[in-house]
Amino acid sequence: MKTDLTDYTYSPLDDGTQMFREIDKYTASSRRVPESPLLPRPLTLSERTGPIELPRKWDVGALDLCRTSENGPRALGQLISVSGRVTDEDGSPVAGVVMELWQANAAGKYIHEMDDHMAPLDPNFSGQGRLVTDEDGRYQVFTIKPGAYPVLYSGWWWRPPHIHFSILGTSWMNRFITQIFFPGEPLNEKDLLLNGVPDNDVRERLIFEYTGTVMGEFSYIGYRRDFVLRGHRRTPELA
Amino acid sequence: MSRRALVSPGSTTGPFFPREFSDGSEDLTLRDRHTARGQHLLLTGRVLELGAKPTWNMVIEIWQPDASGIFRHPVDPRAAQADPGFWGWGRARTAKDGWYRFKTVLPGAYRSEDGSERCPHINCTVLGIGLTRRLITTIFFSDEPDRVSDPVLSCVPDATLRRRLFAQRDPSLDSGSLPAYRFDIILRGDGETPFFID
Repeated sequence: MKTDLTDYTYSPLDDGTQMFREIDKYTASSRRVPESPLLPRPLTLSERTGPIELPRKWDVGALDLCRTSENGPRALGQLISVSGRVTDEDGSPVAGVVMELWQANAAGKYIHEMDDHMAPLDPNFSGQGRLVTDEDGRYQVFTIKPGAYPVLYSGWWWRPPHIHFSILGTSWMNRFITQIFFPGEPLNEKDLLLNGVPDNDVRERLIFEYTGTVMGEFSYIGYRRDFVLRGHRRTPELA
Repeated sequence: MSRRALVSPGSTTGPFFPREFSDGSEDLTLRDRHTARGQHLLLTGRVLELGAKPTWNMVIEIWQPDASGIFRHPVDPRAAQADPGFWGWGRARTAKDGWYRFKTVLPGAYRSEDGSERCPHINCTVLGIGLTRRLITTIFFSDEPDRVSDPVLSCVPDATLRRRLFAQRDPSLDSGSLPAYRFDIILRGDGETPFFID
């Protein structure tokens, strides 16, 4: 069932559920996070509306990142499926919204002018794309497991394998961006971002769940991550 | 009371937000081969970090009503009358020298649900390296900033800070017949832009 957005509101984000704004050693945060306190403000139409037409603007459908053309050669690396469900704070599906994904290739290289790591590009891997969540809020994409890569300026920091997610929600208030890590990676223990969280529960929600292997014509390893976007009904449903 | 689920933790876009994700979204004024109504303008400025240093590849997203103050969204009771030539949403990124630019229209004023008048404004989000959570602010338009009454603007505690939220007409940046309005975003340090709680 589609959520009635007119009977919908947003509470300020609970800091206990989110990453710290300033993280020791993540030096960019101390140059860019404002020093002055953030100001409270009311939510009007302007904040409670948002770009729900983007699937049409971009003509977005399904997404397959493991190749760059329908019958083209497979990208190098371990084939994985990444899937999950996007809901609001009431557990209702966030349907028909754009999700953007981007990631490094199997060698830990992005197609990006700011990436100066000396690792090879893969001509069969773009590492970026868009999809739309289905009517139940679900998404699924085949891709390859990204490689780790060094943050060269830091002198020590290696980013563990991770995939970036951006969700254009149903309003200005439930825009969502994160990056999700893989379970059991040794580099997870030292990553500044994965560990820049208030507690272990928040950290766990930044890691994919391994869902097992699938054997067949198309064999792959499964990972899952659900997302809860902010937003809830103004009037809770009667029990 | 039903128990609500905890909101998922967000994170930074990092340095490698794909350029292709911004391509084509800096111009809000063309939709389905219609041209947006109202005064077209260039909204441009720099995003600066501590020490007034330019930032590269910061992502700016904007959301605004059309020239008549209507949002293309079911929550707006006037949505059916929204301008068919206007998307309302745009995304740009900063170049190496810190500049971003949008082509959009001067937003219309409107009356909010609680009866308050919202003055012409554009919602603005900043994402990028160093920001584990997005920053949100509001860009206002007026020749007389000190006389503007707006329920969001009035949350900013003093006149000096409120003036920082107004885009300034800057003819030196005009592009052909397109008038330029400049809005610099100072993330941290002297002249810091006021940001709102998310």
